[in-house]
Amino acid sequence: MVRMRTMVASAAAVGALALTAGCSAENATETTPSPGGDETPQQLTIGFVPGIASDPFFLAMQQGAEEHAAELGIELIWQGAPDEYSPQSQIPFVQSMITQQVDGLIVVPTDPDALQPSVDEAIAAGIPVATVDTTVTDQSGLVSHITGDNVDGGHLAGVTLAEQIGGSGQVFLMSGSPTATTNTLRQQGFEEALADYPDIELVGIEFANSQPATATSAVTATLIQYPDLAGIFAIDGTSGTGTAAALRNAGVAGDVAFIGYDAYENQVADLQEGVFSALIAQKPGEMAALALDFIVAAINGDTGTIEPNVVMENVVMTNENFAETSVFQYPN
Amino acid sequence: MSSNTRTNRENDSAVAAADEIGGGHEPNSPQGRLKQVLMRQDVILLGVLIAMVAFFTSMNPLFLSTNSLANVLQDWAPVMLLAIGQTYVIITAGIDLSVGSTLGLAGVSGALIIRQLHESAVDPTVAIMLGLLTALVVGATVGLINGLLITRVKLAPFIATLATMGAGAGAILVLTKGVQIAGGPREVVTLGTTRVLGVLTIPLLIVIVILVIAWLVLEQTRFGRWNYAIGSNSFAARAAGINVDLHLIKVYMLSGLMAGFAGMFLYLRLGSGSPTSGSGYELTAIAAVVIGGTSLFGGSGKMSGTVLGAFITTSVLSGLILIGVGPYWQQVVVGVLIAIAVGMQQVGAGKLKRGATSA
Repeated sequence: MVRMRTMVASAAAVGALALTAGCSAENATETTPSPGGDETPQQLTIGFVPGIASDPFFLAMQQGAEEHAAELGIELIWQGAPDEYSPQSQIPFVQSMITQQVDGLIVVPTDPDALQPSVDEAIAAGIPVATVDTTVTDQSGLVSHITGDNVDGGHLAGVTLAEQIGGSGQVFLMSGSPTATTNTLRQQGFEEALADYPDIELVGIEFANSQPATATSAVTATLIQYPDLAGIFAIDGTSGTGTAAALRNAGVAGDVAFIGYDAYENQVADLQEGVFSALIAQKPGEMAALALDFIVAAINGDTGTIEPNVVMENVVMTNENFAETSVFQYPN
Repeated sequence: MSSNTRTNRENDSAVAAADEIGGGHEPNSPQGRLKQVLMRQDVILLGVLIAMVAFFTSMNPLFLSTNSLANVLQDWAPVMLLAIGQTYVIITAGIDLSVGSTLGLAGVSGALIIRQLHESAVDPTVAIMLGLLTALVVGATVGLINGLLITRVKLAPFIATLATMGAGAGAILVLTKGVQIAGGPREVVTLGTTRVLGVLTIPLLIVIVILVIAWLVLEQTRFGRWNYAIGSNSFAARAAGINVDLHLIKVYMLSGLMAGFAGMFLYLRLGSGSPTSGSGYELTAIAAVVIGGTSLFGGSGKMSGTVLGAFITTSVLSGLILIGVGPYWQQVVVGVLIAIAVGMQQVGAGKLKRGATSA
């Protein structure tokens, strides 16, 4: 523990020094020994640590990153914790990237504070760092942070749902987890949006806890309790699958306005079938591509093109606008 | 168990001891008999369940509506399936932690096969049957691996099934990359949710048939008696000529098979195979068995208790939603219920024992 704290403190101090030194990052990468030893520019290696490797959202991000890395002619190392979205399982992957002396690093921090020391350590080692989707508490050392806006996404879901049910009626929120920040931020945005509609009553919130069957059961019970339920917002893919099954079982699919989050293949199929009335789609691939652009620019000293803070907007996907929005479906 | 039973177990053969268990003491007066019935573990549990149902219904009569009961049964069935296997396993003094991830693995394997066949324009019924077969084979295979690790490699059941639990969860991610497997024929959900008999769907009817068979086998057959005998004293069981290793392999395969079917049950209900659908289910199943009065030390336990335990653990969710208890309180309520159900049985068992010694 003591050692840990010392390490954090020294990493932070070195990080601050590196910042004041300005272009120390470039120097560090240039001094990296090149195996070929010739004058041709060496292929850049960029490390990318997602929040979790086994999630459709991050698979979409991975695909966007890999495609763009190929376009840029850089080598991408994509490595993340296989099945847990948590700092303790993510930090070893960030540390491994630092050990490998990658030329640039992109991280989806699973916790803003817990990942700070690792990010600072990378910056201190001369590796330019960008964060995507989520970020760390102290962004001063970052090349850029590109965030998906979950509050905005939840707000968009609330407004869309309110419009679809004509501004009045009972609605229900099927959430995934009471503790995951993505869920709580979406919930916050959703509740803020509903506050503008005095005739809409939020009759309940339940949590699927990553089991779709729990969502099915909760929505079925809610439909029994509130047979006139006008709308449901399912906050993530798991709760969306479970809710869709409950609506089908009750024979009210298409009658109850139903907003889902993320444009996974099966959710888009259900949208086209009319089970979902709208999906809030994010742009994981675009976020990754932008982060790669900025990191490469930072390595090349081309700082003029870098935007230090980008907030990615969300897209409302419906059957009406599907022709324009279908590009936002996540790759399979 | 009283010291009386223990002496029997040591002197006579282990098989005879197994017959003794659950038999209790001969009542000597009508009053004593009534008292004994009331103090029986499963009767106490039934009382807890009835009290719960009465409470939910008094707060919201919709709890006993057809739709609500059908929903409770859909929640109950997969837990019941896992708990059937788990009852057998725990009575042998083992534990099967792998059933949750096996459920998930079997479910996504079946879903993948069904989607593949559906895309190749195979008849939906055939596709579903082959998917079911796949799920059962996957489940039985995991069970076989558990059995071999326990009997041949001599791993403790906790360790062996902890290993397969982790490996199974990993295999799910290898197969699915974390993505839900939808894209099966429409008949999947139709089969999973159409009620053919009152509140019962075809998969639910099958679950009930499986339950009845598993119940009878445990209580009426040599296989069942061996199960208790091995859990009471595996050395004595071996000495009595029981092939303990083979029996254990069969029991873990049964547990895996049940998990495989539970995976398909959830797939049929949801219309998609979810990589996370099994996570935590093993604990719900173990809780159902333990609430049902089966001892984690092996040798004793009843299927009737497990059935009631599974109902108590699974009817809470719909019940609490219907009476308007917020989600943050639900897990607290489940915990309190487990403590009440098990605690009342302990008190009942204590009274029985005291009654028996004073008589």
